[in-house]
Amino acid sequence: MKKEILFSLNGIEVSVFVKGHERLIDVLRNHLGLTGTKEGCGQGECGACTVIVDGRAVNSCLYPALEISGKNVLTIEGLQSPEHRLSVLQQAFVDCGAIQCGYCTPGMILSVKALLDSNSKPTEKEIREALQGNLCRCTGYVQIITAVKQASSQLQELP
Amino acid sequence: MKGFDYFQPQSLEEALELKKKIPGSRFIAGGTDLMVQIRGGELKPSTLISLRSIRDLSSIEINGNIRIGAMTTVTDLIYNPDLEHKAKLLVDAARRLGCPQIRNVATVGGNLCNCSPCADLALPLLVLEAKARIKSLSGTQDVPLQKFFEGPGKSCLSPDQILTDIFIEPVSNNTKAVFLKKGRVKMDLAIASVALLLEMEEKTCRKARMAAGSVAPVPLRLQKVEVFLEGKALSPELADLAQRMASESVAPISDVRSTEEYRRHIVGVYVKRGIAQILGWSLD
Repeated sequence: MKKEILFSLNGIEVSVFVKGHERLIDVLRNHLGLTGTKEGCGQGECGACTVIVDGRAVNSCLYPALEISGKNVLTIEGLQSPEHRLSVLQQAFVDCGAIQCGYCTPGMILSVKALLDSNSKPTEKEIREALQGNLCRCTGYVQIITAVKQASSQLQELP
Repeated sequence: MKGFDYFQPQSLEEALELKKKIPGSRFIAGGTDLMVQIRGGELKPSTLISLRSIRDLSSIEINGNIRIGAMTTVTDLIYNPDLEHKAKLLVDAARRLGCPQIRNVATVGGNLCNCSPCADLALPLLVLEAKARIKSLSGTQDVPLQKFFEGPGKSCLSPDQILTDIFIEPVSNNTKAVFLKKGRVKMDLAIASVALLLEMEEKTCRKARMAAGSVAPVPLRLQKVEVFLEGKALSPELADLAQRMASESVAPISDVRSTEEYRRHIVGVYVKRGIAQILGWSLD
C-alpha cells in the first residue's frame, strides 16, 4: 500500500508515493534520482547518508520515508548555487584536499553545514564532535577539519 | 527485507487502539535501534505504529518535579535551557549517546524501551530514581524505573501498554553526580558505563546511588555498594573496597565489544573514579 508524502526538498515542494517500509534514502536515490546521498553501512554508524531535516543532521538510512511529510530536507544537491557553483563549504573541501574517494564527502559536508548553521565559529573540539558520526576510511580527518575551519572563516568574511 | 505497514496516529488513544487491533505490530519512536533490527532480520513486525505525530509525548516540563515526554529527542534533552541545571547527570549522559545524527532522532522513551543493557540514558535515570508513566486504554500507572527493565530487549510493558513520560525529582544541593562511559571511540555503545550520585554531609555519605551499564542483562543498580557507602565517612581505602565490591556484584558477558573480565574491571575502576571525581580527590 503506497501513501503520498509532500515535503520540501532543497527548497522545492515535491510529492512522492512511498511504501511503509521505505526510508528517506530510498526516496532520495530511487524515487527522485538524487544519488549524491550515499548509503554506506545502512545502520547509522558511518554517516555517509547524512542529510539535514528541519535544520538537524540525520541518517537518511534510518529515517522512515513517511515521517518526512511536511518537513524541509536539504541534501548535497541543494548546496550549490543556481548557477551550479559550489558553495563556500564544498569549495573549502576541494581546496584543502579533504576528499579522497569522495564517498563520505556528501555526509561530511551536510554534518558540517548543520554545525555551521547553528554555530558559525566552532572550535576544533566542536568540529570533531559534529563529525563523530561520519567515518572516512581513506585518509583521515586532518584535512577535513582544516576545510571546516577555512569555510568557517570565509563565511565570516562574506558581506 | 520484508515489507511492513506504517501507521502515524495523531493521538495516544488512536495509537493504543491500533496496537490492540493489529497483531504483531510494534511501536516505533525515533527508529535508530528498531530500523537496524528490522533490516538485520532480528525483528519482523507486520506493522509499525509511529509515535512521532503525537504532540503531547515530546515535551519537557519543569515545575518542582521534572517531566520528560517519552518522545523527547536526545538532542532536545541536551539543549533544554533548564535541564542542564536541574538534572546535569542526565544531560551529561545524553551528550555521550551515539553521534549527532542519532541524538537528533533517538528518543528518551526509545532508549529505555529498547531495553539494551548499555542504554546510556537508563543509568542516570536509575540513579535519579526516575518513575516511568505507563498508559493503556484501561488506565495509567507509575512504575519505578528499576522495575521497568526485565531482560535484554524486554521491559515490563505488556503489549497493550505504552511508556508516555519519565518523572524525576530535583536533587538536593549537597548532591553531586557523574557519568562515566568506556567506548572504543566516543560514539560507540558502552563497553561498560557507570552513573554515580553522592549526597554528602561534610565527609559523611548520606546517600549513594549507582548504576552500571553493559555488565548485566539489564541496566543495573549497584545497591550493595550503595548500602556499603551510606552513613560512612568516605576515604580512599573505602573507595578501594567499593571498587572491589562493584566488580564482584556485576554479571557481564564476553562479546565483540569486550571480555567479561575487562567489563568487571572497568566498572570497579569507574566506581572508584566516580567517587574521587565527586569528592575532588586526585588519584595519582
